[in-house]
Amino acid sequence: MILPKFNYKKAEDIAAAIALYEKAKGRARYLAGGTDLIPRVKLRLSTPGTIIDLKGIEQLHTISRQRGSLIIGANVTLFELKNHDVVKNHFPALYESLDATSCETLQMRGTIGGNILQNTRCLLYNKSLEWRTARGFCYKMGGESCNVVPGASECFSNYCSDNALSLLSLSASVNLAGPGGERKIKLEKLFSGNGRDPFTMRPGEILTEIRVPVKASSGAYEKLRVRNAIDYPLLGVAVSIRNGSGRVCVGGIGPAPRVYPLKDLSKTSLKEVAQHARQEAKPVSNAALSPGYRKKMVQTLTQRAVKRALKEEK
Amino acid sequence: MKAVKVNFRINDEPVALEVKPYETLLETLRERLDLIGGKEACGLGSCGACTVIVDGIPLRSCLVLTPEVDGASITTIEGLARNGRLHPLQESFMEKGAVQCGFCTSGMILTAKALLDRNPRPARKEVVKTISSNICRCTGYKKIVDAVLDASLKNKAYHINN
Amino acid sequence: MSDDLNIVGKRVVRSDTLAKVTGQARYTADLKFPNMLTAKVLRSPFPHARILGIDLSRALKVPGVKAAISGFDAYGVKWGVFRYTQDHAMLPTDKVRYVGEDVAAVAAVDEETALEALSLIKVDYEPLPAVFDPEEAMQEGAPQIHEAYQNNINIHVHIDVGDVDRAMAEAFLVREDTFKAAGEAYAMMEPYAVVASYANGFLELWMPNAGPHVRAKALSNLLKMPLNRVRVRHIYSGGAFGGRSEVSPGDLVASLLSIKAGRPVKLVLSREENATSTRQIHDMIATVKTGMSRDGTIVAKDYRVIYDGGAYSSTGPIATSIPFYVYEECYRFPNVRYNGYRVLTNKGIRGMYGCHGRAFLAGNESQMDLMAKELGLDPVDVRLKNGLSSGEMTATKSLITSCGLAQTIARASESTHFKEKWPKAKRGKGIGMGCIAIMCGFPMGFRSGSACYVKMNDDGQATIVTGVVDNGQGNESVVIQVASEVLGIPMEDINLINADTEATNLDPGAYSQAATFVGANAVRVACENARRKITAIAAEKLGVPAEDLDLKDRMVFSMTTPDKKMPVRWIVREAFFRGDPIAATGSYFPKIDIEREWVSRPWGQMAGTFSFGTSVAEVRIDSHTGRITVPRFTAAHDCGRPINPMAVEGQMEGSIQQAGIAAIMEGNLWDHGFLLNPDLLEYKVPLACDMPEIDTIIISSMDPEGPFGAKEGGLTIRMNAYSAIACAVTNATDALFTELPLTPDRVLTILERKKGVKK
Repeated sequence: MILPKFNYKKAEDIAAAIALYEKAKGRARYLAGGTDLIPRVKLRLSTPGTIIDLKGIEQLHTISRQRGSLIIGANVTLFELKNHDVVKNHFPALYESLDATSCETLQMRGTIGGNILQNTRCLLYNKSLEWRTARGFCYKMGGESCNVVPGASECFSNYCSDNALSLLSLSASVNLAGPGGERKIKLEKLFSGNGRDPFTMRPGEILTEIRVPVKASSGAYEKLRVRNAIDYPLLGVAVSIRNGSGRVCVGGIGPAPRVYPLKDLSKTSLKEVAQHARQEAKPVSNAALSPGYRKKMVQTLTQRAVKRALKEEK
Repeated sequence: MKAVKVNFRINDEPVALEVKPYETLLETLRERLDLIGGKEACGLGSCGACTVIVDGIPLRSCLVLTPEVDGASITTIEGLARNGRLHPLQESFMEKGAVQCGFCTSGMILTAKALLDRNPRPARKEVVKTISSNICRCTGYKKIVDAVLDASLKNKAYHINN
Repeated sequence: MSDDLNIVGKRVVRSDTLAKVTGQARYTADLKFPNMLTAKVLRSPFPHARILGIDLSRALKVPGVKAAISGFDAYGVKWGVFRYTQDHAMLPTDKVRYVGEDVAAVAAVDEETALEALSLIKVDYEPLPAVFDPEEAMQEGAPQIHEAYQNNINIHVHIDVGDVDRAMAEAFLVREDTFKAAGEAYAMMEPYAVVASYANGFLELWMPNAGPHVRAKALSNLLKMPLNRVRVRHIYSGGAFGGRSEVSPGDLVASLLSIKAGRPVKLVLSREENATSTRQIHDMIATVKTGMSRDGTIVAKDYRVIYDGGAYSSTGPIATSIPFYVYEECYRFPNVRYNGYRVLTNKGIRGMYGCHGRAFLAGNESQMDLMAKELGLDPVDVRLKNGLSSGEMTATKSLITSCGLAQTIARASESTHFKEKWPKAKRGKGIGMGCIAIMCGFPMGFRSGSACYVKMNDDGQATIVTGVVDNGQGNESVVIQVASEVLGIPMEDINLINADTEATNLDPGAYSQAATFVGANAVRVACENARRKITAIAAEKLGVPAEDLDLKDRMVFSMTTPDKKMPVRWIVREAFFRGDPIAATGSYFPKIDIEREWVSRPWGQMAGTFSFGTSVAEVRIDSHTGRITVPRFTAAHDCGRPINPMAVEGQMEGSIQQAGIAAIMEGNLWDHGFLLNPDLLEYKVPLACDMPEIDTIIISSMDPEGPFGAKEGGLTIRMNAYSAIACAVTNATDALFTELPLTPDRVLTILERKKGVKK
């Protein structure tokens, strides 16, 4: 399968990358590991004029500790991050989600930044141009309807990052750098909730680093999938608990993950969160297992993740 | 689209090429360099049949742009045998019956090689985990796992020299 | 020949694997020829539409485009395996019948140019109503896909033996259940590819195929070219599993383009095209009614099976029959009625599969277990009681010669402690057993047999020439091993020329389980004929009777006075001196009823012999999520004498993956004629981490006809592994499955229905 034509540029530093972006007049995409972007370009889901490779930017490839936070460069690979001591010792939910991501080889290429910024997916969307043209363009392809739910006014594509969920449960924030300068936002603010364009990034912005408060946590990640590797989550639930309270994050259903605070660890509030999460989940027939089942599993896996996290805490 | 100049080492030989900016490493290997051992089975990074080793890391070459590997050192299946001697993994794959149709074999062997290079004595569980990166349709994987473990025990010298 | 064999029965390294571990094995997409063009195909965007016109003119104007074709450039011939199924033009001119159907194609200097030209081809369509569900397609008023097939019923196989209604009425226990299964994808790792090269009036072709001769014949018909001008060449094949048996639209496309351009043309399908536009496996709905006597004897079976045939006939009559036959070759059915309907729908083309028939077979086996339980019987005893043994006839009059079914059941159940575990099953844990038989070959007219030519070369090495084809299962190595045994020379002394229509004689191909039983048998006969020539000269030279001579380690020697010996090489050279070189032919034609026909005469000897197998799966079910895991899988297989036990194990292990674990994850997903998982991400081929601990047991029932006692190796497990999984789930849940694959959502529904939980 050949790629469409584009230019390739390699950036030395962040400023240079942004300058390259501006020069390409918006028709550029940033490239890190490429495990999400290259298949998209091959399928003509994305047709950039220029691809700007960020892998040469040393700053994006470091992990450091600063003022109580672990600062993870966006180009750190999932495999490197999984094997980092702080992750192993303090962030069990993140360790588990990294370990559950795709397969070892793709963990070695995929980056944490790219994993967070992976586009949303749908069985009727991640297909060749010929397939999609025959079926008719949907909202996410710039069309006028949804091919999964006739008459729907929104796009139900699924956000399938495993690791964004655990990072959200750990109250991570992210740094963005773009033509308009730098900004730091909470990770949950990165998601627009709109399947057509799932992120709130401004044109030309680069996700440069992820900050996670370094406090020991107990946690767990539960992933619903058909096979045990090379599968995106049909549902993912991350839970992290620190000092008697925590956060539950549910993803893999719909265009944005959902975060639920666990104010205390009483049985009632745990049950409430699990039920609430189930009520809010709106799966449709756009992934391998039935929507009714995926909805049911939101509660089941939330309870299971919390149970495991609590067990660990004891 | 301006051609991109790249220099890298393939199987210990320096190579200088001008490639299309939108050319994948798999295309470069197969079409320009006639290194046909890596296969395009899915083209989208799902299966691992196109795996090659780049600077010690197994990569799906169908997802890598050739300009990205400028300056790198690349090992393909054609580079495994040395001085007319097969790599222990190649021997073990033959001896243990780990090869059937052969279409996944080069990717499978290279994925396993990257594992043995970083962990010369993996446990069975670790081998299973690593080769779960690659799809094989024929074997049920049992003999592949056996072969990787067999190779890991076979040749101590290999691990010292490589 | 004495029974202590030198090579046959040994775990030898397969002859084809050196090329594969070094990356030197060339598959079709690896081929490069001077002036070779790249082809791309324009495909139907509609499930059903009339073709009003195809305009190639703009595509032809693109610089670098050397040919463009549509069905109007073909010869108006339709392909079908049988005279009564000739309905597939491969490039239609009347209407398109599925999304992804080949409509037009171009050949250009590179892929970018070909893609550009493709976008300039204009096709006028008139969309027609389409039908995707076979039961709907059978209704009056459903859209007609082909004029010839009333109510879209492509094939009806009707078998009626004994008096089913009476036996059913008299049965102690009767049960009727319906089972569905999604069709699977072959998902062979190699996407389809063809290289066609037309020059000087001859067409040469390379493509992954499971029968070069039958492929050449089909193309000779489609191209109206004499058969001697169509040559299918040997090439490595990246898996077939039944999916490379028949001529493919891409074969015609590449051939027409090469003929037009006068240059070699390479067509390589993408993974998505491989799924949408080469063959898929039939979806099935099987209704199984069984009558049992109080002691567990099956007294009657009544079947109604619907096969979703997609848009064309393909191997229709065979596909509509095989699941029934592999079952009746396993168990005794005094009264049985089978109504198999293959129904056409506006979905992609369908073919035979190594695991074909899972709804029917797993349905039968799990229903049998529930009935056994109701009667207070043990599934092992019920299988032993109803299982056929050697000397018996199947319901449709095939004699079973060698039969190790009972041993496979016994060994598999002993090694898993089946009898202790089965009654103790509890929610969440179960064990199940599946049994099957497989015909080694089936009637294919004059193509049912195989022939081989062997010549001894001047240094005592041999070249064998055979039509036997290898799709990865190891057939090439098997015939070399057999030749090595007979000729007493090591495998490395034997060169193989095979699967080339120019050089080799007819062979049934690698899709009817005949490669060893028929193909290797012909090799054995040819080598024995050569051996006789060797021993005749040696007898004269050594002064001993020819019967006293044996061949081993490149030597001919007297068995009674072993120091009387000489190298085979000397004899070969002596034969050259005598002007009568050592060369021989040999053939094997199985003892089958050649009058047997799938629809019009479904009785008589099906095959020369049958192999047998038993699978035992142990499953765990997560009662909260419905997720199945399979900690252990045991397979026992009567393959006659295994030529290479390591290769047989490999087939069995692969079968556990492709049929067993597939039963919990594999299935095509459709949306109005659009395939939703035409890739290797959403189509779930099991990975290493999904595999159980595997135990394989080979039962060697020496077959009187097979080469060195060998039969088919491995396919029985491919046809019963899903039954073992389904039966284990039945054991754990006390309920039957309704649809395969047993994904967690379906399993949870079974558990909840059992508990009486509302959705």
